[in-house]
Amino acid sequence: MSAIHLKNLTKSFGDFAALKTMDLEIADGEFMALLGPSGCGKSTTMNMIAGMEEPTSGRILFGERDMAGVPMGRRGVGFVFQNYAIFTHMSVRQNLAYGPRMRGAAKAEIDRRVGAVAEMLQLSPLLDRKADRLSVNILQRVAIGRSAIMEPAIFLLDEPLSNVDAAFRAVMRTELKQLQRQFRQTMVYVTHDQLEAMTMADRIAVMDHGVLQQVGTPLEVYNNPANVFVARFIGAPGMNLLKGRPAESDRGLVVDLGPLGVTPPLPDELASAVRAMRGDVLYGFRPEQVALAERGLSMPVSFVERIGARTIVHLGDGESAVKAVFENDVGLSVGQTAVVAPPASSVRIFDAATGLAVKAG
Amino acid sequence: MSTAGATPAPRDEGAKLGFRLTLPAQILVLFISAFPLLMQLYISVTDWSPLSGVGWWNAWEMWNSFANYTDLAADTRFWSALQRTAIVMLVCVPAEFLLGLALAMLFADDFLGKRVFYSILLMPMMVVPAVAGYMFFMLFQSGGPVNDILARIVGAPVTIAWLSDPTLALIAVMIADIWQWTPLMFLILLAGLVGVPEDQMKAATLLGANAWQRFTTIVLPKMKTIIIIALAIRVIENFKIFDTLYIMTGGGPGVATETISVYIYKVTTQDLIWGYVAAIALAILIVLSIVAVYAMKRMAKAREVPA
Repeated sequence: MSAIHLKNLTKSFGDFAALKTMDLEIADGEFMALLGPSGCGKSTTMNMIAGMEEPTSGRILFGERDMAGVPMGRRGVGFVFQNYAIFTHMSVRQNLAYGPRMRGAAKAEIDRRVGAVAEMLQLSPLLDRKADRLSVNILQRVAIGRSAIMEPAIFLLDEPLSNVDAAFRAVMRTELKQLQRQFRQTMVYVTHDQLEAMTMADRIAVMDHGVLQQVGTPLEVYNNPANVFVARFIGAPGMNLLKGRPAESDRGLVVDLGPLGVTPPLPDELASAVRAMRGDVLYGFRPEQVALAERGLSMPVSFVERIGARTIVHLGDGESAVKAVFENDVGLSVGQTAVVAPPASSVRIFDAATGLAVKAG
Repeated sequence: MSTAGATPAPRDEGAKLGFRLTLPAQILVLFISAFPLLMQLYISVTDWSPLSGVGWWNAWEMWNSFANYTDLAADTRFWSALQRTAIVMLVCVPAEFLLGLALAMLFADDFLGKRVFYSILLMPMMVVPAVAGYMFFMLFQSGGPVNDILARIVGAPVTIAWLSDPTLALIAVMIADIWQWTPLMFLILLAGLVGVPEDQMKAATLLGANAWQRFTTIVLPKMKTIIIIALAIRVIENFKIFDTLYIMTGGGPGVATETISVYIYKVTTQDLIWGYVAAIALAILIVLSIVAVYAMKRMAKAREVPA
C-alpha cells in the first residue's frame, strides 16, 4: 500500500505541453479518478506514474520514495490497459502466473498464488481456458488478477470500460468497485466518462488542457465546481451559466441578466462575496435543480427531450440558453413560455473574467 | 436452403450445380498437377528416354520392373548429392533465419536512414538468381574483389582459389544463397514482428519481464506461425538450390557442390535417362512433401493450443 504524491509534475512532447503542471496527493487506499476530455493530460499523468514515460520536470513519490529513474517493472504498480492487453497466446493460468514466473518464483509458490487470486476473482473454473476466447468481463478480471498477483501497492486503470458496450458497463463498474474494496489498494482510474468517475471514485481530479482543475469528492465537484470548466463538464447536461451584472435591489443583491430580467436575490453570504468583486458574473445553476415557478426567468421552450424517467427542456437560445431537467413530463412543448427559477441555495456565481467560482462567506 | 424441413433435393441440386460450375477449374488443376505426376510415375518404372524412339505414352514397352528405384538406392552419387543438399540447407536456412530475425528486430524500431537501408536490404532478393550467380562467380575469382579485400586487411597478397577448392566452393555457394535470401526471411519476420501487440509487450514489462524474457515469452510465441511459414518456404526453396550455384561452380570442382537439383539436371541433359530422372524427382517430392505436411501440422497446432 502506498500513497502517491505528484509534485509540480510536467510533461512536454516537443513543443506540446501535455501536462502543464500537476500537484496531487492520492491517499493510501484511495480510489482516485482522473477525469477529463481527451487530450487533457490524464493518460500522460498515469503513464508517468507507471514509469512508461519520464516526466519533463517534477517529482513522483510513492509514500516517501522518489520514483525518478525507477524502471516500470520495479515500481510495484499494477496496470490495467484500455483493452486489457491479455496475453492471448496463453491460458488464463499462464496469464496469472506471468509476473511471478518472470521473477523466478518457485513452481509451488506460483501455483499457490495463482490459486488464491483465481479464487478471489472467481476465475478458478476458467484457469485452463485459452485467453483469446474470453468475454470482456472475464478479460477484465484476468487483467486485474494478473496485476494483483504481484501484490502491487498501486493499481492504475486506463479507461478499462471504454471498449465495453453501454449496457454492460454498469455491471463492470459494480464489479470493479467491489474488487477495489477487496484489494484495498490505492487505485488511480483514468476516464473521460464522468459517470464512471462519480460512481466509483473516492475523489475525482478533473483535468483540462494539461491543468488540474479541481480535486474533490464526487459530490463536491458536482455541487461546488471550482470553475466554469468543471461546472460545464460535470453533470449531464452540465451547469447552466448565464452572463449578468450584479445589481442592488430592495430585496438584496440580484443579478441583472439583461433581456432575461433580474434573478431572485442571492443568499446573504454569497451576496457579500459577490459585492466584494467587480465586473460581470456568470449565474450558474444545475438543470436538475430548476423548478417551474410563478416568478423567475421567463423563457421560450425551444426543444424538449423525453428520455423516459426524465425530461430535458431546452429554454431560450444562444448565450442565454438554459436546460432544465424534470423528473416527470411537465407538459411543456415547443413555443410555450416557461417560467423557471432555481432555488437560491443552489445558485453558484462565477467571475466572468477569470471563470473561477465565487465562494460564499 | 431457405426453408426448414425441406427435402434434401435442393441441397443435392445445389451441390450438382456447384460441381458443374467448378468442373473447368478442376480439370485445369488436374491437368497441371495430377497429370504430370502420373506421367512421372509412369515413366519412372521404365527405361524410357527421349532418344529411345518411342513416344512417352508407349514407354510401357520399356518396363524395367522398378529397376530405377533399386538403382537409386544404390546410387552413391545420388546419396552424396542429397547429403550435400542437406548440409547447404542446414547451414543456409538457420543463417538466413537468424540474420533475418536480427535485422527484423533492428528495423522494428526507428532509426536514422531506416527507409534507405530498408530498400537496400531488399535488393538482393530482386536480383535474378542467374545474375547473382555470375556476380558471385566474379567476386570469388582468385584475382577477384573478395581476395583483394582480404589482401588489404591482412596486408599481403591473397590468392585463395575459392571456386576450385571443394570445401571453399561449397562455402562460397552458401554465402551467395544467404546473401540473396536473407532479405526474404527478414521481410516475412518483420511482418510478424510488427504484428506483436505493443500493449502486451508493455504489460509484460510492467510485470517485471526483462528484454530476453519478453522475447521468449511474448515475441516468439506470437511469431510462431510466421516463423514456421518462413522456415518452410526457405527449406523447400533451398532444397531446390540451382541457378546461382550452377553458374558459380557448375556443381564442381568435380562433384563438390553437386546438389540434388544439379545432379538431376546433369542426368537429364547429359545422360538422358529420363526414366531414372523421374524416379529421382519423385523421391525428392516425397521428402519435400513430408516437410510441407509437417510444417502445416505445426501451424495448425500453433493456432490451437496455448504455448
